Amino acid sequence: MIVIIIKIKLTKFITKNLYLNINLQIMSFIETKTKVGELMNLETDILVIGGGSAGTMAAIVAKEQNPDSDVVIIEKGEINRSGSIAMGMDALNIVVQPGITTPELYMNSARIATEGILDYKPSFVMAERSYSMLKRLEGWGIRFPRDDENKYISLQVHAKGSFLIEMDSPELKLVLAEKVKEAGVRVINRTIVTKLLVDRGQVNGAMGFNLRTGEFVVCKAKATILANGGCARFSLPNSGYLYGTFDYPGNAGDGYSLAYQAGAQLTGFEYTNCSPLIKDINCPLLYITLTRGAEVVNALGETIDLEYVSTQNMLKELREGRGPIFIKMNHLPEERIQEIERILFTVERPIQKKFWENRGIDFREGLIELGETEYQLCGGHGLTGIVVNEKTETTLKGLYAAGDVACVPLQHLTGAFVFGEVAAEEAVKFASNNDLGEVDQNLIKNEEQRLLNVMDNNKSGSISVQDFEYKVRRTISDYAIPPKNEIKLKRFLWWLPRFRDDMKDIQVTDHHELSRYEEIQFILDSAELSVHASLAREESRWGWFHHRTDYPEKDDANWLKHVVLEKGLKSGEVQTLLVDIENGGEH
Amino acid sequence: MPLIVDEDLCTSCGVCVDRCTMDIIRLNDDGFPYKKYDECWYCGVCEEDCPENALIIDLPFQVK
Ligand SMILES: Cc1cc2nc3c(=O)[nH]c(=O)nc-3n(C[C@H](O)[C@H](O)[C@H](O)COP(=O)(O)OP(=O)(O)OC[C@H]3O[C@@H](n4cnc5c(N)ncnc54)[C@H](O)[C@@H]3O)c2cc1C
Ligand code: SF4
Ligand code: SF4
Repeated sequence: MIVIIIKIKLTKFITKNLYLNINLQIMSFIETKTKVGELMNLETDILVIGGGSAGTMAAIVAKEQNPDSDVVIIEKGEINRSGSIAMGMDALNIVVQPGITTPELYMNSARIATEGILDYKPSFVMAERSYSMLKRLEGWGIRFPRDDENKYISLQVHAKGSFLIEMDSPELKLVLAEKVKEAGVRVINRTIVTKLLVDRGQVNGAMGFNLRTGEFVVCKAKATILANGGCARFSLPNSGYLYGTFDYPGNAGDGYSLAYQAGAQLTGFEYTNCSPLIKDINCPLLYITLTRGAEVVNALGETIDLEYVSTQNMLKELREGRGPIFIKMNHLPEERIQEIERILFTVERPIQKKFWENRGIDFREGLIELGETEYQLCGGHGLTGIVVNEKTETTLKGLYAAGDVACVPLQHLTGAFVFGEVAAEEAVKFASNNDLGEVDQNLIKNEEQRLLNVMDNNKSGSISVQDFEYKVRRTISDYAIPPKNEIKLKRFLWWLPRFRDDMKDIQVTDHHELSRYEEIQFILDSAELSVHASLAREESRWGWFHHRTDYPEKDDANWLKHVVLEKGLKSGEVQTLLVDIENGGEH
Repeated sequence: MPLIVDEDLCTSCGVCVDRCTMDIIRLNDDGFPYKKYDECWYCGVCEEDCPENALIIDLPFQVK
């Protein structure tokens, strides 16, 4: 009964801008009970799109900065277990510990790792704030184990210093979700954002729908933070399972597409990247094993020179025909093996335990075969994302971006948390000086109608969403990933309008399938951006990941620049610009 | 790749439905969970969060 009463309150008052602090369980129950076709009309100070690592942090800090401000998270999944850290995480990859390392040292490492495609300020700010972020997390009960001398356990995976700090936290996401709840943030789960509300270059919120009920959700906001990840579903995984990707498959380039369509600038899309991980299951284990003495050997039995866990060196062995490659641990002492097993089987992807049991492989004797993951686009593991400055400001007023969706190269989890924090500080300031902006009602009507039309017109489509996505991603695998050349890349552009047109044939029978349909559009937009950037950069850079056979050399004289993309105002087509790197002059 | 459910232990509480990262689990007419959609990435959340230890997530063909 109580639930019904709250439900009535919610629908009745929400349009009147009355903010209810409802606990998450009740919230998700209400959502599953709302009627199809109903409209949820929200107004808020700060809207966070995506409640993963960066998004939950942003929402918590926004409430901390100004407890009176209203904060809404719209999350495609359910925030207790959504995003890349759903099952916890075992390290913060970048932490500058006072007295041990410095932000400058980190910058030197990052410059090497990115081959110079790095703006100074954002990465510096991340490094500078990384230790206080560790302390914040520790204060919330996240464990960072220490050695016999009471020092944090750090491992060297960068060229110039030990920045990776071990974290022992299977329950990381549950803790963040609890903090979100305590802070009184309104959470709208199982809702996919499909379009940003923009008026004359300013973002005023977003629209989407509940993927269980179909309820159309409009949220007007004074400031909007995009924190919805990279594009995990880019090329096909070798396992043949569409969703068997290494990164969280709920992130399909949604944020890239939303920002691009709204008119924001993006960069680094030519850097299609992959990693050597456990073959078939695509789970990570490199840092955990290699920093504890494991080796990588090739088919000839040679040990591969790893140069601070250089994944590119490993991938080279495969490409040059010396694969398969394996992780070897049979020389390690028993306590090391047990330590590795404990970490691998409790955090990140504990499903690995079953995998090894099924295969009958014991790390004490057997070799672990590594395979290439699918290619992805990501601001956390890669160099791809929305253009942001050190304040997480995008090129659109009122829009901030944090985490894998933003281009702060190789920022990993540290970047997601630090810039979640920064985005909150900036968005709170912005919201306190701005009213809810103008919203063109036609934008809202058109988006709702577009979604209703797909539900109506695609009911009896001839191809399933999965089959269609398979074809899109197979074509990405054929033409948009390395080795690249002009003719090959242009083949993708030949296919692109055909795919978009053929989307009318996709069968969509419920709102879950509608969300997959929308994701295919995000994947296509991400691929379009990637191919344009790859065509524009007439050189090879970042090793294999942007290797052009027609321009095989790296050309620093002409190409030590960003390739920036935006939607042409008149043409509606992708425009590419070359932008200088901001070196900061401090090195 | 179906979910393996111990029907003696399962209380039909729906936690697995609420927590699934890809939103693919639903309860069937008898109140037991099944995968309504295909998009499992074997994250293991459903198995981990089931309060009754009633659910086992199996790995698919060739990922075993
Ligand atoms: C397997 C794995 C291991 C890793 N290991 C480490 C490590 O050891 N150390 C480290 O530092 N980093 C590690 N990383 C990287 C780190 O986890 C990520 O960089 C970080 O979590 C990214 O945070 P995010 O908030 O940007 O994305 P996420 O946490 O993935 O959050 C994005 C959220 O947005 C939601 N969303 C997506 N689209 C929409 C939409 N249209 N509408 C509404 N919501 C949407 C998603 O459901 C998701 O919850 C690892 C990553 C993976 C995948
Ligand atoms: S969480 Fe466990 S007990 Fe609850 S419905 Fe799912 S399988 Fe049954
Ligand atoms: S393993 Fe993950 S994606 Fe698969 S059904 Fe369970 S919770 Fe859902």
